[in-house]
Amino acid sequence: MSDHYDIAVVGAGPAGGTAAVTAAKAGLRVVVLDEQPKAGGQVWRAKSASIRSAPKTPETTAGDGLRRTLANSDATLLSDTRVWDIRRTGDTWQLQILRGGQSEQINARALILATGAREYVQPVPGWTTPGVIGLAGATALFKQSLTLPGKRTVISGTGPLVFYVASEIRRLGGTVTAVVTPNTRTDWARALPSMVSQPRLLARGGLWMADLMLARVPILWGHGVSAVEGTDHVTAIHTRNLKTTGTGPTFDADSLCLGHGLIPNIEAAQMLGVAIHHDPALGGWVPDADPDGATQVAGLYLCGDGCGIRGVTAAGLQGTLTGARAARDLGKAAPAPALQSWHRAARFGQAMTRLSIPTPQLAALSTDDTILCRCESLTRADISAEIDTGAASTNAVKSGRRAGMGPCGGKYCQTAIAALIAAQTGKTAADIPPSTPRPPLRPVPLGQAVGDFDYDDLPIPKPAPL
Amino acid sequence: MIRLVPNHADQIERSEKVKFTFDGQPIEGHAGESLVSALLRANALTLRHAPNDAAPRGAFCCMGLCQECAVLVAGQVVEACRTDVAANLIVERV
Amino acid sequence: MTQKTTYDIAIIGGGIMGCATALQVTQGGMSAIVLDQGDLGQGASGVNAGTLSLQIKRVKLMPYALKGHYLWEQMGDAVGFAKTGGYTLAFNGREADMLQERQTLKAQAGAPIEFVSNNRLRAAEPNLTQKVEAASFCAEDGYANSSLTGQYYRGRLRDAGIPYREGCKVTAIDRDAGFALHTNSEPIYATRILLAAGAWLKPLAALLGVDLPVNARVNTVSVTERMPHLMGSVIGHATGLLTMKQKANGTVLIGGGWQGLGTPQDRRGTVNADTVKPNLALAQYAVPALATARVTRSWTGFEANVPDFYPLAGALPGVPDAYVLGCVRGGYTIGPYIGQLMGDSILGKEPEMPLFDPGRDFEKDTI
Repeated sequence: MSDHYDIAVVGAGPAGGTAAVTAAKAGLRVVVLDEQPKAGGQVWRAKSASIRSAPKTPETTAGDGLRRTLANSDATLLSDTRVWDIRRTGDTWQLQILRGGQSEQINARALILATGAREYVQPVPGWTTPGVIGLAGATALFKQSLTLPGKRTVISGTGPLVFYVASEIRRLGGTVTAVVTPNTRTDWARALPSMVSQPRLLARGGLWMADLMLARVPILWGHGVSAVEGTDHVTAIHTRNLKTTGTGPTFDADSLCLGHGLIPNIEAAQMLGVAIHHDPALGGWVPDADPDGATQVAGLYLCGDGCGIRGVTAAGLQGTLTGARAARDLGKAAPAPALQSWHRAARFGQAMTRLSIPTPQLAALSTDDTILCRCESLTRADISAEIDTGAASTNAVKSGRRAGMGPCGGKYCQTAIAALIAAQTGKTAADIPPSTPRPPLRPVPLGQAVGDFDYDDLPIPKPAPL
Repeated sequence: MIRLVPNHADQIERSEKVKFTFDGQPIEGHAGESLVSALLRANALTLRHAPNDAAPRGAFCCMGLCQECAVLVAGQVVEACRTDVAANLIVERV
Repeated sequence: MTQKTTYDIAIIGGGIMGCATALQVTQGGMSAIVLDQGDLGQGASGVNAGTLSLQIKRVKLMPYALKGHYLWEQMGDAVGFAKTGGYTLAFNGREADMLQERQTLKAQAGAPIEFVSNNRLRAAEPNLTQKVEAASFCAEDGYANSSLTGQYYRGRLRDAGIPYREGCKVTAIDRDAGFALHTNSEPIYATRILLAAGAWLKPLAALLGVDLPVNARVNTVSVTERMPHLMGSVIGHATGLLTMKQKANGTVLIGGGWQGLGTPQDRRGTVNADTVKPNLALAQYAVPALATARVTRSWTGFEANVPDFYPLAGALPGVPDAYVLGCVRGGYTIGPYIGQLMGDSILGKEPEMPLFDPGRDFEKDTI
């Protein structure tokens, strides 16, 4: 197997997988790289080998479809593969990857980044307690392992994921103790017109709601989780009425699924020189890219949630657009679908994203004692004090307090920290860009990154001047 | 009670159970599931202790990003959410 | 109508060089303002590996380095200073000869460096590879936390009442009874200026029509996640091309000047996988247990130099009342001290040690 390709696609989810298939169909040599054992990304995450059989869901069906199409295409899928660095040398993109504990380099003429999204979780007291998992994290757990997070679960957050997770827990035989959402019924009513274009989703969501109501699961609209009780496991969940700021009900629970919207994984694009801008309706900081994926960087394309949270349908459509655009730029004929369908799908996705735009009431759930940087156990008070000394950028706060220097690389703290800097310095989120992303894109064992070597072969340069 | 969302728990068939250890504690899991999945089911929630304040931490993002589930397998720190259960696997807290 | 402020000196560059000079001239009664195109201390001052090792200092700069070490020790906890002692390793005969020659000269220049037996090395650092041919030791060596530079000097400038402007880029300099600095925000007026912009000295001096032969090396540093105790001292290599230290929080910092890519015009450099890999390999060779350490971050910093790799410290050639300070080989170590010397010189005093004429002939061996 050669390591020189026409196009390398990072991410085998709905966007990346589709982009790869499109480009391969145009006659190009395409490689798709993904960390997971199978293609599907987050939303179409495959079941692990531990599941021999299970009833299908729309996601399973869609995911199986993508996996089949990819397998039947001429694109090469490298799964269980961690991309840790990407660089352009002349006309070639060089990707450093780890597969099976071995370091390899992939070379490609063009690069499509389909890095998807992660979630934003508003830090609240006790959110670091074992038994609290992210909302999107819960969906990953369910899809991959069909495992429940606990026996009595509170589900809290914004957007449609809250209801999806609730329905999945019930489908897997678990107990939903309560659904707590900062969204109000009015928020959802506002989003309804855009949902009209997705009647099946509308019906599905309606079914979830009706099921919860029939099961008498408390649904707290306009509420947020104000505190998680418990030291090494969750014992209770406290809530707050976000409008009145009064105390809401407390629930006995052993687990909490918590999440407040998705944010694009932009680190790779940023590292490779793509400019970013702030758009709350797309999940926050997004890289500058055209609908067909083209960016200001020659040979670099972006598609899917990684360049703006527009949802799975838009991601697949953009994958086709981007695969076609990259193929055409490499001289191959590739039909491009109409942009209309992408715009339509994106409109729906963005309406869902808008439900998770951070509000001051949500931010107020974090207290001075709340941990903001999980990796370094830094509280809001710690960060606030650093900002008071004059650190007015995410880089400066990072340097001064290590906030964002831990193993997660700032993925779970930077948004909240930037919001704090903005609030404290009288600016807006758009004024506080994320800190500089660095390789490796994920932690990599030193020995594996280095590979086998002979001391005498190390290209030790001339000694420093004496 | 009418359920509009059916309970599929009994329709899930899993792989054979295998035994492994977590910090010496025997844990049962299904071959090929993630360590996080098996440890959650076994109610072994505390996977590590945070630096600085030694607070108990467990799986959070479940997608290989947050590093809260970092554990030691064969002397190498790995993400438990991306590492599979296998018979006789020795898993330790970092 | 607002009165325009004319500072006694405007200092362009808010790293260690600029800030140390600002503090010195202010103590001598001058009014100063510090300007930085980014945050204070986010250039080389804030991104280097933090190594404070006499064993990697140039022989002729040793007296300055010794003073620098003393000052870093005074700065103490505020900069994460730790005097751990340091070992320099040679893995084969050629390196052992190099070690012998170089460390002997450095010891003669005043650094308390001694050669140590393998037994002593093994007792001190049991996790080091067995394959050490020769080793030297300096009890004065250690490190500080370069990430704290910006926060530290921000505090010092505030305490001294020295105004500073971050995110302030100088775009043009007019000379007309003093200096008028045009920036991306307000204009700044000063009687004197000090160019202390590190890797950006060349384009900055060009604003005054001065051509400084400043190049920027792109040094790479990597850091691991927290590890169990692997080493207590700063570890180096006979060629100077590996520096390694384990911080109090358990993370291991690996440097050595391996070259990344990019120029100061790009604002940031990029890591080159082709050089970071051998850098990490060298680290693993020295401490095999690092094989399982997960690298969480690699980055680059620009280190400015002139052709003879000695500092620029003195009057800017051809421009009265203008000074330049930078390109110090070992600038992190020496910066706090040479900033004091520069400050004294600007105040009209005789500096304690000689400065380095920026107008010298770089092709000749003048230092």
